[in-house]
Amino acid sequence: MLKKIASVRGILTTLLMLAIVYAAYSIYYKIEYWGFSFAPKHNTNLWSVEAHIAFEPTGTPIKINLTTPRSNEAFKILEENVVAPGYKVKRNKSGSLLTLTSAPKEEQQHIYYKIMLFDNVNTRGKTSAPQPKAPEQPLFDAQKMAEAKQILKLAETIDGDAVSQVIKLFNQEPLSAAVQAYLPIQKSPQQTLEIIRELLALKGIASRPARGLLLEESKKSLTPDLMLEAYIDGKWKIYNMQTGKKGLPDNFVLFQRGGKSLIDVIGGENSIIKYSILKSVTSTMNLAGKRAKLAGNETWYDYSIYNLPLAEQNTLKWLSIFPLAILIIVVMRNVVGLQTMGTFTPMLLAMALVKTGFVPGMLCFTFIVFLGLIIRFFMSRFNLLLVPRISAVVIFVIIIMQGFTILGYRLNQDIAQSAVFFPIIIMAWIIERASITWEEDGPLNAGKEILFSVLTAIFVYLVISIDYIRHIMFAFNELNIVILLIVMLLGTYTGYRLLELKRFRPLVKR
Amino acid sequence: MFAWLKKYCKPSELSKAGVLGMNARNFDVIGKYNNRRLYPLVDDKVKTKMLANNIGISTPKLIGKIECQYEVKDILKIIDGYKEFVIKPAQGSGGKGVLVIVNYEDGIFETASGRKISYHDVYQHISNILSGLYSLGGKYDTAIIEELVHFSDVFKEYSYQGVPDVRLIIYKGFPIMAMTRLPTKASGGRANLHQGAVGVGLDIRTGRALHGVLRNVPVTEQPDTGANLMQIQVPFWKEHLIIGALAYDMTNLGYLGADIVLDANKGPMMLELNARPGLAIQIANGIGLKTRIKEVDKYYPEGLNAQQRVDFVLNYTPKE
Repeated sequence: MLKKIASVRGILTTLLMLAIVYAAYSIYYKIEYWGFSFAPKHNTNLWSVEAHIAFEPTGTPIKINLTTPRSNEAFKILEENVVAPGYKVKRNKSGSLLTLTSAPKEEQQHIYYKIMLFDNVNTRGKTSAPQPKAPEQPLFDAQKMAEAKQILKLAETIDGDAVSQVIKLFNQEPLSAAVQAYLPIQKSPQQTLEIIRELLALKGIASRPARGLLLEESKKSLTPDLMLEAYIDGKWKIYNMQTGKKGLPDNFVLFQRGGKSLIDVIGGENSIIKYSILKSVTSTMNLAGKRAKLAGNETWYDYSIYNLPLAEQNTLKWLSIFPLAILIIVVMRNVVGLQTMGTFTPMLLAMALVKTGFVPGMLCFTFIVFLGLIIRFFMSRFNLLLVPRISAVVIFVIIIMQGFTILGYRLNQDIAQSAVFFPIIIMAWIIERASITWEEDGPLNAGKEILFSVLTAIFVYLVISIDYIRHIMFAFNELNIVILLIVMLLGTYTGYRLLELKRFRPLVKR
Repeated sequence: MFAWLKKYCKPSELSKAGVLGMNARNFDVIGKYNNRRLYPLVDDKVKTKMLANNIGISTPKLIGKIECQYEVKDILKIIDGYKEFVIKPAQGSGGKGVLVIVNYEDGIFETASGRKISYHDVYQHISNILSGLYSLGGKYDTAIIEELVHFSDVFKEYSYQGVPDVRLIIYKGFPIMAMTRLPTKASGGRANLHQGAVGVGLDIRTGRALHGVLRNVPVTEQPDTGANLMQIQVPFWKEHLIIGALAYDMTNLGYLGADIVLDANKGPMMLELNARPGLAIQIANGIGLKTRIKEVDKYYPEGLNAQQRVDFVLNYTPKE
């Protein structure tokens, strides 16, 4: 028999361990792939980037090539839209190039491309890639070559790796004479970039331009920032063209890499592209489905509670806190040894307190029980039978609640309106039990019983009213399995209860 | 600041004292030796009484029982010819709903506390019993009317109103612990320790007082009468033990509480049995139940009949 118990405990303990491992993995998974967080009301920034393309048609068939960002480790795409009436939209295989085609048009054309991004993170802008071809050596005459060599030599005196040395040199304030002489008088960032690329090619470093946008809310239209990517040690590394700093800022979205231009319009002229960025905030939980899809585990997500309609989710959120409350009750009764009115009465009271708020709830509860007890005392003179009597108490409780709520409304006191959240039957039983205990064991015991129940309820309330805990129990509902097994294990706990250490103390021989 | 901690002891100390805790009682003892299927035998006093009478345990005589509301009006017919009787719920516990009538004359009922009540009050009380007011879980119940026990003079000075009784704990058929429960003014004449009755532990071999306890505090005097509790010696002790041992044969419950009253004329009678007897008896005895249970498991023989088991207990000297 003892062996049997040992094995029951053994099985439960093993299951508990497995449940903990499963829960730990599942929590990791949800955080990593679904973006769940331990913090409630966790928000994610949502960036809407809009590109407005305008051009005048030349009267020939129109073809527009537009490079677009793709989901990568740096950010995820929530949605993407092209507003181009009358155009056929095609994507290349990798999805990074949109091709719009149309028959010849006459009026000024406006095309909108909109993309919503989230979860942008700092990836340091490194991308592994196979070795590109050796960079094409620039065709310099001897004098230019000498100048270039001089500049490269100058660059070596600056901090940083070879690439940032050169970039920094071209950004010095004021520019050194050699650089000034080397640069054309009217330089555009694009030209500077090309000059730097030539110099890097001399050193044998392959590089390419990259364009993107800094995610910053701004009303004015933006021009894409130019960055430089250089192939070093088997990876493309990205450099800021102003500072020479290596790495992508975490709020930078790359639109395009390599030599292609961002937009390329055939059959149009005077084309301009304007970018605008808008930031909005959304609950992290709302994006979980999208994240799951991007992580390639839609099915698991589809069958999770987070994919349900919001009303059902809220009900389940409410339910998923119950196991924890139950665990507290089990501990209170079987480990502490506190006797309460009815097993789950304190839990239901705590639930009501969560809905009403603590002070209004307690006031309301005290008032209802107090009034109910008075009524019950008058009723005990009638010597009614049990079922009709408890039924009468239930009806009285309802009437008290109605009166309380109406009064609260007239007096504009929210406190009184919380009455409706208390479970009527539970209230009636508390009153009935208390009055019977009062009659049989005296008011002291009745008061004690109510007090213990209320104290337990308050304790449960304090735990479950913490937003964090409520959120965690819902977002990581696999914890419920862990709690289930803990509760079952407690079912085999045969040690002393805390209060027994006091009760049986006289038996200890000293 | 930590003074309140002194009221507590370490679990290891309790374990050393052999104290049986509530969880261990439920899991290790009741869960193992008391088959739930057998509970109705002890939860229903009518059944218990019938079984007891079959096996030769004497109980207060059943005058009648009332099972349905329409039978309540027959109460006067049932008690015709009796001047004193007890009305109680068949499935009650802890002395709840017990109405003791010590004098019934000309339609007036006098209760043990001297209160005079009318037919209407008695009618109401029986109705309450039937509706389950006093039964476990509020189930519909039966009211039983039985003869009043005239408890022995031995207990007179130790008890304030009410009926003092002897509670035996029977483990695997062996009576292992005993106490007498004496009603006080505070307990309202009821023999329940948590209501304020005095518990006096009794030596299982002799029926002599060991310790007195009132609300978990040691006492040596009855608080209402001032009688010296340490002089209690329950007569007919062996007969008490035999009732307990037989109760095991009758119910097959491995862990059992038997409540026995001593009638002045008829000797010890069994009042009721309990499949989940409380643990306060340990405090009254100053010894833990686990100690006794271990002894039984280790040293007590199996296969004895009730008489032999009682003899074994009476002659047993503890090994440790």
